[in-house]
Amino acid sequence: MAIGERQEAGSDDVETRAVGWRHTVKAVREDTTARLGLYLIGALTLLAAFTWFDYLVFDYAIAETVWYHPENDPDVVDSLLPPAFVDGGTWAHPLGTDHRGRDLLVRVIYGTRISITVGFLSTAIGMIGGTAVGAIAGYYGGLVDDILMRLAETIYAIPFLVLVIAFMAAFGRSITYAMVGVGVAVIPVFARLIRSRVVTVREMTYISAARAAGVKNRWIILRHIIPNSFAPVIVQGTLQIGISILIIAGLSFLGYGAQPPTPDWGQMLSESRGYMLPQPWFSIWPGLAILFTVMAFNLFGDGLQDAVDPQLED
Amino acid sequence: MNLARYVLWRIVQTIPVLLGITTITFLLTNAMPGSPVDIMVGPEMDEALKEALKERYGLNRPLHERYLIYISNVLQGDLGVSFYYDEPVTQKILERLPVTALLVGSAYTFGLGIAIPLGVLSAAYRNRWIDHVSRVIALFGVSTPSFWIGLVLIIVFAFHLGWLPSSDLVRPWRSPAQVTNASTWLEVWYLSARSLVLPTIALGTLQMAAAMRIERSSMTETLGKEYIRLARGYGVPERTVLRRHAFRAAQLPVVTIVGLNVSTALGGSVLIETVFNINGMGRLIITGIQTQDYPLVMGTTLFFGVLFLVGVIITDISYAYIDPRVTYGDAE
Repeated sequence: MAIGERQEAGSDDVETRAVGWRHTVKAVREDTTARLGLYLIGALTLLAAFTWFDYLVFDYAIAETVWYHPENDPDVVDSLLPPAFVDGGTWAHPLGTDHRGRDLLVRVIYGTRISITVGFLSTAIGMIGGTAVGAIAGYYGGLVDDILMRLAETIYAIPFLVLVIAFMAAFGRSITYAMVGVGVAVIPVFARLIRSRVVTVREMTYISAARAAGVKNRWIILRHIIPNSFAPVIVQGTLQIGISILIIAGLSFLGYGAQPPTPDWGQMLSESRGYMLPQPWFSIWPGLAILFTVMAFNLFGDGLQDAVDPQLED
Repeated sequence: MNLARYVLWRIVQTIPVLLGITTITFLLTNAMPGSPVDIMVGPEMDEALKEALKERYGLNRPLHERYLIYISNVLQGDLGVSFYYDEPVTQKILERLPVTALLVGSAYTFGLGIAIPLGVLSAAYRNRWIDHVSRVIALFGVSTPSFWIGLVLIIVFAFHLGWLPSSDLVRPWRSPAQVTNASTWLEVWYLSARSLVLPTIALGTLQMAAAMRIERSSMTETLGKEYIRLARGYGVPERTVLRRHAFRAAQLPVVTIVGLNVSTALGGSVLIETVFNINGMGRLIITGIQTQDYPLVMGTTLFFGVLFLVGVIITDISYAYIDPRVTYGDAE
């Protein structure tokens, strides 16, 4: 909201927009922390792609050949081992094992799949839905605006977790519904953001010109309004992926996300709760993985925000 | 428009939102597979008994009829009777609300108590060590799952060091006779404060980090304004510039975020109450969803919605106190 109102109110022709993007890319390149965030996101995405590949094509055969199977119980059960650098740990299981003797390192690595995928897709749902709703509400105004924005406010007024849990109780407990639920729940965030931009852009001369020239509303929204309102949405989207990952982890922790034996960070934390006294390390690693991943998106998102918002540049 | 009329107008505006919340939760709870009666008595129970129960709770009526009955009851202040607890939902909420209010309130106090001074210092000493430290804290704060902070705090401070309790909140309004290990009110409050420390930190960290970031960026922006430069040019001491001229003007975005985050904090309390075994509103909702307790789920969600909307209205009103230029104009 505040992001949208401040920046580049005058970037109303293609030329300045192109320069704006070039400036953004340059600014991100020069920003060490943003670059670090981007590299981390890239690495995590590649890892997620690899784990998807192993899961779908080989049914975890790669993991099992190289190291351990991330889901099945091992033949020799050494449960609740501490990490290798602690007394009693072994380098066969660098991070230790869980309550069923499965290797924690393998499970943490394979947990990337769910978190990254769900983070990206739920944000995509929120972004597409929110952009459509916000653009329509902002462009048409009046009754359409009132109805859509009241609806957005309604969804916003119910806490995320409660809404998504109720949604899943109605439709089914699975990670897919969790993803769709979170996506729908974040629609208002993007709708408000894009609407505040659209309301400003709508009054610009070139939009009046387009309207006067007889260009259809739908075309004006798609071709002019949305592209010119998109910078803050990209910034918010990057940060939102991190937030979505946190929400999904919370859902899985409560038992409303990924179901066992799927390796998933939130779900691992949920399982670890019963073993915090005998083996505290079990609770540490999945949380660190979430922290690390969300931080990557925050680092990049912050850099992006500074880049498109010159007033706050450091 | 004066304040009273403005508040009234804002309350009128919340009506469609409240109606929307009721409709959404009504549809979602009723879309849950199976019947609450099965959960009450078990699916293999006698059909006649099931029918009797359905009759008693009005579950045999068609959906739209139940919806209209529910709405008209809510308008009369009746949220219905919980299937699971067999008590009025209102009573259940009033029993649990103080616990969650205490938790969220202390989390906010903790969060803002750290965020505001650090955010201001961060902006005042940009790119100095204090700025770097507080930015790193804020970055970690927004990136760490709150429930995991709770788990780590339990492991370190309850299990490893044994300094603080890991679960159950001692309610400070319980009389000493009802609390174990306490014989005076002072001891009750001491035990209560001890049991509140870890959940407060777990729930408050996100609020702290979010507020700190906004405080910093808003202060930074304000400090760059022309009138601040002018004040400095006149030789006004930097402390006075910060306190008198910049601070108040920079609080609008902070207040907005704090107001909107009430919803996040209430959602977060679901997780934190689970981690620390605290019987508050968050766990009440989860119990309601798990037992298909329609009235309980609808009542608590509606109540959360009301809390959120009250928070937003208070936020809007406080704008005028912070920034005298804000007037209660027509419609927003």
